[in-house]
Amino acid sequence: MRPLTPRRIAGICGVLFALLFVVVVISLRMGTYPISVSEIVTTLFRGALGRRDEIPSEFWLVVFGLRLPRIALGILVGAALSVAGAGFQALLRNPLADPYVLGVSSGAALGAILSLTFAPHVPGVIQLAAFIGAAATIASVYFLGRRGGQLDSATLLLAGIVAASFLSAMIMFLMTTLSGHELRGMAFWLMGDLSTPPPTPNVLEWLLFLFGVFAVAAGMIYATTSDLNLILTGEEEARHLGVNVRRVKLVVYISASVLTGLAVSVSGSIGYVGLLVPHVMRMIFGTDYRLLIPTSAIGGAIAIVLADTLARTVVAPTELPVGAMTALAGAPVFIYLMRRRVR
Amino acid sequence: MHRAPRLRSFIYAAAIVVIVTATSQRASAEHARKGSQSLTRQTGAAQASAFQSGASQTSATQMVTDETGRRVLVPFKVNRIVSLAPNITETIYALGLEEKLAGDTDYCDTPAAAKLKPHVGSMLNPSLEAIVALHPDLVLAAANSANRRETVDALARLGVAVYATDSRTVGGMFESIAHISSLAGAAQQGTALVTRLQARLNALQTRLAERPLIHVLFVVWEDPLITIGQNTFIADALRWSGAESVVIAKQDWPQLALEEVVRLQPEYIVFTGKHSESSGTQVSDLRSRPMWKDLRAVEVGHVVNVSEEIDRPAPGLIDAIEELAHRLHPDAFPGENTRAMNHPPAHIRVDASEENYSCAR
Amino acid sequence: MSAGAGNNLSIASQPVHFRAAAPPRLKVEQASYAYSATDRSAPKFTLGPATFEAQHREIVAILGPNASGKSTLLRLLAGLIKPLSGRVEVDGVEASELDLRTRAQRIALVQQESELLFPLRVWEYVLQGRYPYGKRLRFESDEDCLLAANALAQVGADGLRDRWMDQLSGGEKQRVILARALSQQPSLLLLDEPTQHLDIGGKVELLRRLRRLADENRYTVVVVTHELNLAAESSDRIVLLHKGKCLRVGAPAEVYEREVLEEVFEAPLDVEMRPSGRPRVVVRSSH
Repeated sequence: MRPLTPRRIAGICGVLFALLFVVVVISLRMGTYPISVSEIVTTLFRGALGRRDEIPSEFWLVVFGLRLPRIALGILVGAALSVAGAGFQALLRNPLADPYVLGVSSGAALGAILSLTFAPHVPGVIQLAAFIGAAATIASVYFLGRRGGQLDSATLLLAGIVAASFLSAMIMFLMTTLSGHELRGMAFWLMGDLSTPPPTPNVLEWLLFLFGVFAVAAGMIYATTSDLNLILTGEEEARHLGVNVRRVKLVVYISASVLTGLAVSVSGSIGYVGLLVPHVMRMIFGTDYRLLIPTSAIGGAIAIVLADTLARTVVAPTELPVGAMTALAGAPVFIYLMRRRVR
Repeated sequence: MHRAPRLRSFIYAAAIVVIVTATSQRASAEHARKGSQSLTRQTGAAQASAFQSGASQTSATQMVTDETGRRVLVPFKVNRIVSLAPNITETIYALGLEEKLAGDTDYCDTPAAAKLKPHVGSMLNPSLEAIVALHPDLVLAAANSANRRETVDALARLGVAVYATDSRTVGGMFESIAHISSLAGAAQQGTALVTRLQARLNALQTRLAERPLIHVLFVVWEDPLITIGQNTFIADALRWSGAESVVIAKQDWPQLALEEVVRLQPEYIVFTGKHSESSGTQVSDLRSRPMWKDLRAVEVGHVVNVSEEIDRPAPGLIDAIEELAHRLHPDAFPGENTRAMNHPPAHIRVDASEENYSCAR
Repeated sequence: MSAGAGNNLSIASQPVHFRAAAPPRLKVEQASYAYSATDRSAPKFTLGPATFEAQHREIVAILGPNASGKSTLLRLLAGLIKPLSGRVEVDGVEASELDLRTRAQRIALVQQESELLFPLRVWEYVLQGRYPYGKRLRFESDEDCLLAANALAQVGADGLRDRWMDQLSGGEKQRVILARALSQQPSLLLLDEPTQHLDIGGKVELLRRLRRLADENRYTVVVVTHELNLAAESSDRIVLLHKGKCLRVGAPAEVYEREVLEEVFEAPLDVEMRPSGRPRVVVRSSH
């Protein structure tokens, strides 16, 4: 009997962080513009020390202007989607749940389309509109998904599916009436794109803001992980053991939806990550959510950074959208997982 | 961790493979061969001012407003240009500035020499890194048509000088050519080119004066049937050819049902095709398709294939307009022996042959 | 030692030292409940006023045909629902007014287990019973592990510790579920039809185990069951329900009367008294 301890969690996360760091360095190295690993490390080192003028301006441009923000965004989006996916799988009692099943991404896409129609090219508007769309969907699905005053998994799932299809229909309707150029921008957005420039001139501020939101939402989910472990063995049983099931469900619902809305607002809908990363982490590390949430977050970050690196380099100089890469890689992984369910 | 030992070892193996590949030097050699400049170690101070974002106006640069209203800092001496759209590439060659063209997209194929220039990717999603690696003094983009506004913004954010053209009409195209030529230090060639092209258009106008506009259905896509709206570039080009779309729509790419076309009964149907013969739509194809064969235009063989240049704001457009005018108003050009006139009426097809679209003047 | 409530001291048979009157572990006083389809329509079902008590080391069996209100009564005892009138007290405190965690520390409810979504090991499952002790986000201490191990030992499921939950047989799973309830260290142990999916050997074993647990660990056990004879064997008190009414409360010998049982269960039944003093119910032969 080896119960989970914080030390063990930290140890495992440490290993995963190291892996993430390696992947980030590799990603920084890859790209049309040739840079070697030592040059990257020196640049990062000098950048961290504030010795900017010693760095050739192209390095700075490529590493800090292009690759690093993209990688940072990828880490955020990967972590957010994976944690949200794990949360929804517990909330909906369904291993096939992914962050988009409750219609949040469709709501965000609708917000994005409306912003493109009415206020194109205003910086930050598309992200804001997408987030508002996501929030509105979260609220509506919540009210539709209640039964007896609290969230019921089956009703919630149905409400989400209905919302998602309704919103998709509206999106399709709007896309046929949009004119050509906005449409293309929208298509890219829908496919998942990490290269959207930040709405604020200072990239660092933007990233810190996003990470802040992530930390709060993910932290709130983490606080419920003991409860989630119990809820997974049965809601009634969990109630008898003293879990405030109603409150836990609400917290997980809101936090996971916020995480999804955050990810979709900045990068469009990148699929498969939220569904598969929790499963892979479960297979390796077990189903205890106190370990699953942090490992999913880091695992998701690794997955997206890898996918984005491939998307940038596989048919260089053309860049594939990240969502295409995750779909291409995700399908075989899904099949592998299905055949290897631990019994 | 007892759970999936095979998975674990697979992950370790994959990690090792990835690390080994990444640290190998092969990739660097690839890029050097591709022709993009290899990394030179210059300190920041020695860099061209084009890379400094927010730099104040120095004697080497000027502030201009591009065609989308953006203010851009452009160097006086532009020696390296990257074009992000085929029409811009074509214009650059027409102005005789191909030496200054440092890179273009994968899709710049007119003239053929453009295909040999270093590429930066697609028009919708070019590789920003590839663009930066070419050290351009100026990047030219076609905002609102071939390129996305997001790309322009992203490049501007990186401190790259990007000038966006926005030619929505044929007249706008002339202005764009003028702007590009003056930015690139070839104002004289620009004026000359524009004058030549305008003269041809004016001559065409004279020929077609007092002729009613021919009503055509311009087919952008066959299935679903998509045609052009009144604010598109093609609509303007059509008017110069003495034609008008039967469909009046505010949307740029309205989709319509074939029944509607049957009701409107256009006089001619115009398809665009590539330069080669095989991909043009044959009248015989259409005669065998339901609904299409009910169109009077198909019955009498009034089906025209025009080159893709009709949608491209570049000098080759004028050739396409002239071609189309000849097809639609044959009686306005008595005795003129264009190559297409030699075809017997049964399968009227206008396919541009290669020589007619050479842009190198 | 007779199973009685309150201060039934008979001077001659009690030891000399003075024993303070202990409050009953479980006290149900005129508790009733009703529920209806909607708020305004007439009650669909009423659980009539029920009154009984139980001390530690006692087993109470709640008997009755289907839809007689057994599960509702159990939920009242668990504090999950509040009685419309009357009181349900556990250790002197109204059960439905306890906060969630305290309630989970005092009362353990064992029901048929829901389907597990993801694979789980037995020891992980049993450890979850320690949840009510400690903060909401908690990591199990050594003490928790010890108590969980003890619980497994108490149900004779030591060897199952590292097995996967979904690979257990019905009887094994039953024991593990019971172990989780025990690791809650409750005063009151409630079981809702625990013998449903067990074979006769399993049923006997379970009730004997409950008896032993009650005796050794001073639990108070309330079992909802259909098993008339096993209940008669092992319980100290029977609560007989019929269509929501609490018909009889008392020792098995008192409650098992032919006419009453026949009326309640609508079957031709005979009651035999065995030498142990416990009754046995048999189906009357037709000839």
